[in-house]
Amino acid sequence: MYDINRAESAVTQQDIKISARNVQVYYGDTHAIKDVNVEILDKTVTAFIGPSGCGKSTFLRCINRMNDTIDIARIEGQIRLDGEDIYDRRVDPVQLRAKVGMVFQKPNPFPKSIYDNVAYGPRIHGLARNKTELDEIVEKSLRGSALWNEVKDRLDEPGTGLSGGQQQRLCIARAVATAPEVLLMDEPCSALDPIATGQVEELIDQLRSEYSVVIVTHSMQQAARVSQKTAFFHLGNLVEYGETDDIFTKPQDSRTEAYISGRIG
Amino acid sequence: MPLSWALLASLLLAVAGYLIGRSRAFAVAGSDIRSLHSRPIYHGASVALMTLTPAIIVMIAASLLRMAKALSPEAVGLVGLLALAAGIAGLGWGITRIGAGYQARNVVERIVMGVLIFCSSIAILTTAGIVLSLIFETGHFFQKYNWLDFFLGTEWTPRFQGNSALGILPLLWGTLYISLIALLVAVPIGMFAAIYMSEYASKRVRGIAKPAIEVLAGIPTIVYGLFALITVGPMLRDYFAQPLGLGNSGSSVLTAGLVMGIMLIPFVSSLSDDIINAVPQSMRDGALGLGSTPSETIRQVVLPAALPGVVGAVLLAASRAIGETMIVVLGAGAAAKLGLNPFEAMTTITVKIVSQLTGDNDFAAPETLVAFALGLTLFVITLGLNIVALYIVRKYREQYE
Repeated sequence: MYDINRAESAVTQQDIKISARNVQVYYGDTHAIKDVNVEILDKTVTAFIGPSGCGKSTFLRCINRMNDTIDIARIEGQIRLDGEDIYDRRVDPVQLRAKVGMVFQKPNPFPKSIYDNVAYGPRIHGLARNKTELDEIVEKSLRGSALWNEVKDRLDEPGTGLSGGQQQRLCIARAVATAPEVLLMDEPCSALDPIATGQVEELIDQLRSEYSVVIVTHSMQQAARVSQKTAFFHLGNLVEYGETDDIFTKPQDSRTEAYISGRIG
Repeated sequence: MPLSWALLASLLLAVAGYLIGRSRAFAVAGSDIRSLHSRPIYHGASVALMTLTPAIIVMIAASLLRMAKALSPEAVGLVGLLALAAGIAGLGWGITRIGAGYQARNVVERIVMGVLIFCSSIAILTTAGIVLSLIFETGHFFQKYNWLDFFLGTEWTPRFQGNSALGILPLLWGTLYISLIALLVAVPIGMFAAIYMSEYASKRVRGIAKPAIEVLAGIPTIVYGLFALITVGPMLRDYFAQPLGLGNSGSSVLTAGLVMGIMLIPFVSSLSDDIINAVPQSMRDGALGLGSTPSETIRQVVLPAALPGVVGAVLLAASRAIGETMIVVLGAGAAAKLGLNPFEAMTTITVKIVSQLTGDNDFAAPETLVAFALGLTLFVITLGLNIVALYIVRKYREQYE
């Protein structure tokens, strides 16, 4: 409990974007997430680390209700986005997902042109009133994801024809174009080579100025590089949550220490 | 010696060869079984295959020669003896090959490959044979009937006493018209059923609904024909055709098209279901994660990704519709007509092939031979459709694998 209290005291300077209270997730009979309490800050990169199967991705998918698409998943507890319970009956998951964007582990561009990929979100949500505005959104998003210079002459070519790193940045541009408030990233670099990873990490650091970014990662180095806050998950429990520097230099829990020193996971 | 006896004798020889080969191999190996390149059962198998293969080759060659009339039927006894002799020679040769260094395992592998190649070529050669026999008879037909009149003629009036008009256009029109209606029924219904099945239905509903739809695929087409004849046809006539003043025929293009469409629903839906399921889940996640509703996801992401495969499925369904006979006979009648009214009776190529070949006509008359020309035309159309469909389906597969 000490860690969480300490984290909360540090929080007061920045706004709390998402707060989770006693969240439980069940997959059928499996209790995948046990009693997770966490507060995620606005304009901050928060990293979820932990060994495979520890529930970090599951918890991430709770934040935009992507677990709703899995029949056997059941969620208890409360997750509040700007103070509003996202599992409330009146909340439409479709609208929630427009506010809480997501980038997936494997780059998944749609089988459309680069332009149409980025314009997808603005189109379905009616964010642009005319073609000029849509062009502006597409350009801004592609610039924001550091892809504009590479693709500006071939916006009509299929997004699937780009390289892996470019595809992932396209997916980030696609998520950014919808103008979300929170960006969830589920191991966004696990399918990328080191150079592309570097580009995406740089991008994540820039995104921090406008969004609250939550990133799940297997790589502790990556968590240390890009995040300001780190949460360590183990066997469905949130073991420790705090400033990234503190987690990696003076972990409070023996399990955290074992994980970051390579003894478990 | 009849061939069946020769075959039986060669089989017995092969079994004997297997046993001899194996025991010879054991004898050669002596105490150390590892001195053999191949295990004894492979030596046995190689001897058995070497006995059987020459005997069967002789028999097949003899049958082919007899079909080509280069061999008189009286020579069968001789062929049997020859086959047996070839088997015995193979057996003897196989036994002498056995030794520690002999690579019996690789020999067996090669023979097995030969057998597999032989079987695949039978499938291909059969197609070639069917086409050749059709072309042969079609050639006869065109010697007796002008090909321009056949392909461009708008009259189909075969007469027993000769002097018939045998234009394919009314039949081709009927075929395409009925197939078009069938596809207009089957494609939307089948596709929507597939979308519901793969995207919306819970596991339990899917478990019940999918087999229930596929039951439709198991119904013989003649039963569909009966349904068209006694239910759909009269219903369309009484409630649509007569009140609208569009004719009073019980059998009509629309009847056959509707019923054929129902027949094709499971075909389209199960193919589309497979194709839609092959679209990676990550595409759906991507779209849902951006805040699209399920139907937006399907319309804008899943279907475009699945489109080439769906087009392939539709073309395969079309080639089935074009080749369908029984439903047309019972549903659309047998009157060859060029017309636009869907409540009129029309007929298709397949129906006319049957009726031209099942009469008491002289087999050499153009009225009979026209069936082969019709068959060849139909074959070319469906072959073309299938090639296009397979090409599209394969191109689609490459995208995600």
